[in-house]
Amino acid sequence: MSGTTPDPNDDVVLAGEYTLSLLPEEELAAFEARLASEPALRRICAIWAEEFSGFADDVKPVTPPEDVQTRVEMRLFGESAPERRTGLWQRFGLTGLAVAVLAVLLFVSSDLLDQGPLPPETPAYTAEVAAEDRSLVVEAAYDAENAELYVERLAGEAAEGRSLELWLIAGENAPVSLGVLPPDERALFTVTPELQEALSGGVLAISDEPEGGSPTGAPTGAVLATGPITDA
Amino acid sequence: MSSELQEIENLIARMALKDRAAFRNLYSRTSAKLFGVILRVLDDRAEAEDVLQDVYVKIWNNADRYRANGLSPMTWLISIARNAAIDRKRRARHSTSGDVLTATLADPAPGPETMAIRASERNRLDGCFGELDHQHADAVRRAYLEGDTYAELAERYNVPLNTMRTWLRRSLLKLRECLSR
Repeated sequence: MSGTTPDPNDDVVLAGEYTLSLLPEEELAAFEARLASEPALRRICAIWAEEFSGFADDVKPVTPPEDVQTRVEMRLFGESAPERRTGLWQRFGLTGLAVAVLAVLLFVSSDLLDQGPLPPETPAYTAEVAAEDRSLVVEAAYDAENAELYVERLAGEAAEGRSLELWLIAGENAPVSLGVLPPDERALFTVTPELQEALSGGVLAISDEPEGGSPTGAPTGAVLATGPITDA
Repeated sequence: MSSELQEIENLIARMALKDRAAFRNLYSRTSAKLFGVILRVLDDRAEAEDVLQDVYVKIWNNADRYRANGLSPMTWLISIARNAAIDRKRRARHSTSGDVLTATLADPAPGPETMAIRASERNRLDGCFGELDHQHADAVRRAYLEGDTYAELAERYNVPLNTMRTWLRRSLLKLRECLSR
């Protein structure tokens, strides 16, 4: 393929055939290999898919049997049935006491903000939590000795009447709130022992929430920024 | 983008954070549509239910790869459902195309447009299809909705396979011209 200039019309046709699942087997592998390295080709496929998905407008919705959802959730979450009434906290194994302790710690830590927190000199982990267009950029550094997460907002702020909430996601677990970012650019969050282990290899995320933070304990608004936690 | 689509995009973003409530919300909003799409490809209801499960597992697992990019999030969801159904229909032949396409559509590169995107203008597609020979337009629609192969289409329209492919490729070129106007 390399060395020759592909006919753009040909690529549009090939991408159309690919999106319609019509490409013969012997051409499929070559096309998929090109997709991996040619963003422009991926874009053409996406646009075809967008156009063709208009056909689905004519497809009549059919409500699936209820047990399909139960079976999906069993596969994904290992639950015997959708447990709508179980609180999110219980689902990831935090007791009411731990929640209370976490809440107190977060409250205490926000008191420290007024003193103007400083970044740790030798952080164990760091993360850059950034929006794709960098309209929101927050740097985080974890001080293992004091179990404190230092957070500095470099760009962006909460929308009027809204709050930015910081979340820790470890593996397949539900996100755990680390707290609401204060209006100050710098903040310090105390990290509870059970969350300390989850930091390594975890992901930090910031979501747009009602003022004061998510009312449900889970993110309710758009996820504005994410960033992996890496060893410093 | 309509607020409904915006909400679906938000739900996918929350699912990327492993938010189960968002998953349930997305399921209740979209499962009937996706089940309908799957049933167009697969006649067997039990098989279609199996595929629907696979589809939502795939959506959950790939939510973190999805990037809002101006294309409809429904396109991504419908494509996952359609491709999973077609993979099942053709499972005798080994096929992985569904997964590559899922990834491709989750995060298509931004770039110069070769075709204008006007997701909201569905009648534009209809208009362009109106310009195609009726049988040719029908073949494209069948390939998308029913998952027919070139061999199946050739048999249906009683033409040699190569002729079928020529028809279809020409139709795609015409559509492209029409859609970029």
